[in-house]
Amino acid sequence: MSSLTPGEAARWAARAGLSLPNDRHAVVAATADHIHSVVSVLRELDLGDTAPFHAGETDATA
Amino acid sequence: MRPHELTLAAASRAVGARELSPVELLDSVLTRLEEVEPRLNAYVTVTADRARAAARQAERDIAAGTLRGPLHGMPMALKDMVDVAGLPTSGSSRVRAGHRADADSAVAARLTGAGAVLVGKTHTHEFAYGLITPQTANVRDAGRIAGGSSGGSAVAVAAGTAAFALGTDTGGSIRVPAALNGVVGLKPTYDLVPRDGVVPLSWSLDHVGPLTRTVEDAALVLPALTGGEPSAVDGDVAGLRVGVPRNYYFDHVDPEVETVVRRAIERLESLGARLVEVEIPMTRYVQAVQWGLMVPEATAYHERTLRTAPELYAADVRVLLEAGELLSAGDHLRARRARTLLRREWLRMLEQVDVIAAPAVPMTAVPAGQETVTWPDGTTESVSDAYVRLSAPANITGVPALTVPVGTDRAGLPIGLQLLGRPLAESLLLRAGRACERPLTLAGS
Repeated sequence: MSSLTPGEAARWAARAGLSLPNDRHAVVAATADHIHSVVSVLRELDLGDTAPFHAGETDATA
Repeated sequence: MRPHELTLAAASRAVGARELSPVELLDSVLTRLEEVEPRLNAYVTVTADRARAAARQAERDIAAGTLRGPLHGMPMALKDMVDVAGLPTSGSSRVRAGHRADADSAVAARLTGAGAVLVGKTHTHEFAYGLITPQTANVRDAGRIAGGSSGGSAVAVAAGTAAFALGTDTGGSIRVPAALNGVVGLKPTYDLVPRDGVVPLSWSLDHVGPLTRTVEDAALVLPALTGGEPSAVDGDVAGLRVGVPRNYYFDHVDPEVETVVRRAIERLESLGARLVEVEIPMTRYVQAVQWGLMVPEATAYHERTLRTAPELYAADVRVLLEAGELLSAGDHLRARRARTLLRREWLRMLEQVDVIAAPAVPMTAVPAGQETVTWPDGTTESVSDAYVRLSAPANITGVPALTVPVGTDRAGLPIGLQLLGRPLAESLLLRAGRACERPLTLAGS
């Protein structure tokens, strides 16, 4: 998987409404890459018809 | 014995029997605080004048025959994520400078209603987004971390500067500092304790719960938080099916921690519990689900201040919040859907046993400044990832989890046993925890 460049991190953050100063681009890109690598493991799962968990299903309020 | 050395239960009995006044108890706690707080720095704010007024009122009420319950006149600390009307809720952050809560959180209101006396607000890793609590020293070794994020609460209880405390737990933030400082920490079932008026880190993973010196103490605080009935904590475990994980919970665990925890499990067996080997499901996906939920939720909560005052956040928290902007909705939804599967598999596993017994954390408190741990197989893990690893399953699944001190390593650092159970099985966890806890003496002098 290709890693995020500092410029891409800045552009993506800007699209989310967050303007990153220049000195933040590289560190945010590296951190976002790391988070992405952890979370991407979930793509292995066949989630089929599984719905997202929501708090209404919790036990204490059932 | 000085009054601050009493457990909550013992102090409560003494106050109820009018052998000890809440004013004497508070004076002892505040004297202790003057002795140890300069070294430990557990508190953001100490509300001594307010506490003295509350203790005097409790003394008058009890003398007049109005004992509200076991927490009446008991000195408590609240993590500084919990709103108390008129006080700042700092989240141990410069971002919150000048804040003042308009109203009590639900839990603060319930504890005040139960007659507890607020000693002060305790330090958290900034906004509960971390496992270190760098402001606060470990109670047993000031060169080591307190753990987090409820580090101040754990240290205050372990040092005797509060009879009990509240913490919050999103990925272990009650259980980790409790284990590292040798106290009891309970993360209740999700939604059992109201979170209204508590600063969120991640709404879907956040829990509020007590930190205490003993299991009996935790059993006194829980009903005041939930409005439920007190649990019997007689330590009777005869016939209890105790699940012992064959995978995950003993992988990449310090040998001394494993030895002490397995010895505690053997104690349960010797008291009549039946040990059952269990396979922990879907372990490969725990960290992915935890991050896929927590990272975007935390970023969403901090959206506004991340844009207006980003420089006020600590560097470690700021970069996580910023990077969280780049996680896609698809990744977040995948984590929420995977959580459904993970919870379903956990509930299926929990049909075979009454409780699961495991280490609370893989290693004792590391020296301040240590960032990684290297395991014998050469694997390197960040300290924070290691401390979250054995805690996160209970946050994701919402099942209750209790950590109790069961011994120390050769250096005298505390080791915690974690007990997990089915949703709403808190009383069972407390009963089993009572059977194998080894409370430590106060520390921090």
